[in-house]
Amino acid sequence: MIALPLRRSVAPADPVAAVLLAPAQVVSLGILLICAQLPQAAYLPLWVGVLGVALVVLRFALLRRDRTRKIALPPWALAIVALAIALLIRKQFGYFVGRDPCVAFLYVLIGIKFLEVRTLRDGTLLVCLAIFLLITPFFYNQSPLAAVAALPAVLATGAALEALGSKQPMPISARSVRAAWLRTATMIAQGLPIAAALFLLFPRLASPLWGLPADRAAATGLSDRMSPGSISELSLSDAVAFRVDFDGAAPPSRLRYWRGPVLSLFNGREWRALSPRAGGRLLEGNAPSVRYTVTLEPDDHPWLFALDFPSTLPEIDADGTRASAGGLAGYSREQQFLTRAPVTQPLRYTLTSLLVDSYPVASAFEMQQNARMPPGNPRTIDFARSLRERFPDNRRYISAVLQWFRDEPFFYTLAPPLLEESQPVDEFLFDTRRGFCEHFASAFVVLLRAAGIPARVVTGYQGGEINPRGGYLIVRQSDAHAWAEAVIDGRWQRFDPTAAVAPSRIERGLFGSVPAGDPVPLFAREDGGWLKSLQLTLDAINHQWQRNVVQFNRDRQRALWREWKVDEFAPWQIVAAVAAGVTAWGIAVLAWFAVRRKRKERALTLWESACRRLARGGLPRMEHEGPLAFAERASRRWPQFEIAFRAIGESFAMLRYGDMAKRESERAALLATLERAIEALPRAGKLRAMT
Amino acid sequence: MLHIFVRIRQRAFRFAPADRAPVVLHHSRIYILPTRRGLAVIATLLLMLLTSLNYALSLGLAVTFLLGGLIASTLLHTFRNLAGIEIKPLAASDAFAGSNIVFSLSLAAGSVDRRGIAISANGVTVTTAVTAGQLATVTLAVPVPARGRVALGRVTLSSTQPLALWRGFAYVHFPLAGIAYPTPETSPPALPAGEHGFDARAQGRGDESDLAGLRDYQRGDPLQHVAWKAVARGAGWFSKAFEGNAAGGPVALEWSKLPLDLDVEARLSRLTAWVLDAERAARPFALSLPGTAFPAATDAEHRRRVLTALALYPEAPA
Repeated sequence: MIALPLRRSVAPADPVAAVLLAPAQVVSLGILLICAQLPQAAYLPLWVGVLGVALVVLRFALLRRDRTRKIALPPWALAIVALAIALLIRKQFGYFVGRDPCVAFLYVLIGIKFLEVRTLRDGTLLVCLAIFLLITPFFYNQSPLAAVAALPAVLATGAALEALGSKQPMPISARSVRAAWLRTATMIAQGLPIAAALFLLFPRLASPLWGLPADRAAATGLSDRMSPGSISELSLSDAVAFRVDFDGAAPPSRLRYWRGPVLSLFNGREWRALSPRAGGRLLEGNAPSVRYTVTLEPDDHPWLFALDFPSTLPEIDADGTRASAGGLAGYSREQQFLTRAPVTQPLRYTLTSLLVDSYPVASAFEMQQNARMPPGNPRTIDFARSLRERFPDNRRYISAVLQWFRDEPFFYTLAPPLLEESQPVDEFLFDTRRGFCEHFASAFVVLLRAAGIPARVVTGYQGGEINPRGGYLIVRQSDAHAWAEAVIDGRWQRFDPTAAVAPSRIERGLFGSVPAGDPVPLFAREDGGWLKSLQLTLDAINHQWQRNVVQFNRDRQRALWREWKVDEFAPWQIVAAVAAGVTAWGIAVLAWFAVRRKRKERALTLWESACRRLARGGLPRMEHEGPLAFAERASRRWPQFEIAFRAIGESFAMLRYGDMAKRESERAALLATLERAIEALPRAGKLRAMT
Repeated sequence: MLHIFVRIRQRAFRFAPADRAPVVLHHSRIYILPTRRGLAVIATLLLMLLTSLNYALSLGLAVTFLLGGLIASTLLHTFRNLAGIEIKPLAASDAFAGSNIVFSLSLAAGSVDRRGIAISANGVTVTTAVTAGQLATVTLAVPVPARGRVALGRVTLSSTQPLALWRGFAYVHFPLAGIAYPTPETSPPALPAGEHGFDARAQGRGDESDLAGLRDYQRGDPLQHVAWKAVARGAGWFSKAFEGNAAGGPVALEWSKLPLDLDVEARLSRLTAWVLDAERAARPFALSLPGTAFPAATDAEHRRRVLTALALYPEAPA
């Protein structure tokens, strides 16, 4: 058979730039752009997210309405539009040279460029912009869902490149798109060994190459100040603060005080932290200890939460990359670990804590700082003085205060009444008596300071939930807590006034301790049912993902290399091993092609042997006769073998001319059918004798 | 030393027409380089790699490497699309300068479907696809501006399948050449008088309106005189006999008798035009050039030899 050339052309001087895009190519580009934009849209201001996609859809609409006329928008008009949008984005973010505004601009720019895309070169540019947009959602979220959301765009990239590279692109239909995605998926699967090797072996950076932008995420979490209502607000959030894997059994809930900012400054209403000063000392002793690894969600603060009280420094699971937030800066006097930079990426660290509830005071100055009383709240001060007269001993006085909380009708609630600006502590202690942990902690510390006992508020998280699916602890924002510590016999001793009012808060968490009508978040409830169970499973998956994929950083990579003894090889040996690996991969893929081809050739060999047998039996195949027609003719000649002939003709026709994308298993089955049917035919001599 | 260098150069670039048909493309002949689009995509991936490393985005790296794997596997697909193609030269048509010489090549797909194979030589490119087990004939129409021998030259087979990120190519250089005859003069003077004193004009140009009848075809009869309708009917091969056939005597086309003011190319042009006129009139013609002479005859082989001599003048015909 002679096939005529499909197309004849004299090569132009600049073949790529000169060629205009066919509608099918524009459509596959558009599909790629939409697939790349959608995962990003959630992290952009609403108008940016909608505008970018709308521009792409607009081009589709133009294409549909008027296929023949060229869409001719003057380039300067689009440049003005782009400039206007850049200004709007500048206005929205307040700055332009930064990660977030640039991502937003790239996102919209793709839509603008798509409006005027005309030549193949434009198409190439758009593909490049779109694949860059593939990684930008990971700035904000590296969950398994985010990874899955990137996959359609990866497949659409292959389809768009295929359309751009094709001289006569097929018209777009659901079927053709599916086929193109399938072809891309096959090629990606073939390239998977290379991708996996690169992921495991490509060296990660020890320190960032360029300055990290000062983008601030509006993360929910604790802050370094506390006023009435600030923690109860946090308690409404199901967001995960951090997860903890314990070496061995987790300590009981009542011992799980996760220390955060320590607040010493009080202005009568708001508590604030002192500026952090180094000088913390790690505890030593024989108290029961626990070793654990915290995976901290980014909260944009330089704090590492630790169980009271650490006996080792945290080993941060990276060295100097962005994820490590600049490394450990120090251990503050208030027993809090600080990083050099705010934590903006998930961060893992491992340390050991002693499960005790007191630690030594650093200095007399520290005691002085924590005894200051602001003016105001006179009723509280009067009450403290009268109580102090009855209990001159510090320890007895504190017990009396806690007892008073216990005896008086104080209520622990998520929805306390609003307090007046001027004397909030007075009002809480003597009028409303309904409050959340920050109210109790604050009032407790004020009562102690009024009696001359140095005391301060400690914020952090308390408790957390053990996920039975993964055996690790989930600490959510709803576990945020405030407690107090006071100096007794030269040691800071932990007191939790909330425990006096609602002991179950400490034992069982939020849900067990607030009135039934309070709006407790779903996952802090105990009666969450299947939804909560599903959520726990998902969280377990997410945790593994964070641990093994997202947190696969320089340290983990080095550890893996050590395990594989990569370090022991000389550089030339590594180069040789990589070259050998790539060669082996190439040979393996080509061999796979060959196996598929062999199967095809085997069909032809079998068919030719059948034809030869029939020819010797007296029925040669005509040149023009296809397998089906020849089988038909043979069946007429030897009706007793009709089934075999049909099987041979049909299976050979399917194997030879059927859809290329057919599954391997089907091909194997067809080949087996062909083989068996030919075996069922009698020898040539017998065939001849039958006629 | 120089010899080795020449051999390596020939192996790498195939500048000399030393390939013997058929050539099967193997890895030693196939080169693969990124296309400009491939370079653009690779540059983008490098940018993504840097960004992901800087921001410690593990998933960014994963996506970058996934696309890197895709690019690597398309390289193998590009290689596979070319490897195993069997190419051989079929023929080169002869043509007059100013028109196209058509070179035909045959492409056997072998056991793999071949898509988007571009075959180019002499600045002409043809793109074709061949399904597994099939043959394709590729014709390259190469424009020839001047008379002489026109070699097909080095043929480049290339393909950017499947994603146009890589361009695989192979050089094949067959010693295939066609002859470009001189451009016939557009309005030449009448044929010169024949040896027997006939005047062409007086005898009349036997054109096809003067059809006298059919006679049995003989080898060498001009193809345009074959009675194709009769052949198509299955009646057998006949040639049309024209009035002029009987009347026209042999024509002597002589270089030496052309006007002295004509230059070499003009002379060749005129002689070519006369050869065509004589053929059209179905009159035998003889040609004499300085150093060469062809006795009068009418057959196609004679015509070819005469025109070739004109094309290659002053080179002696082989």
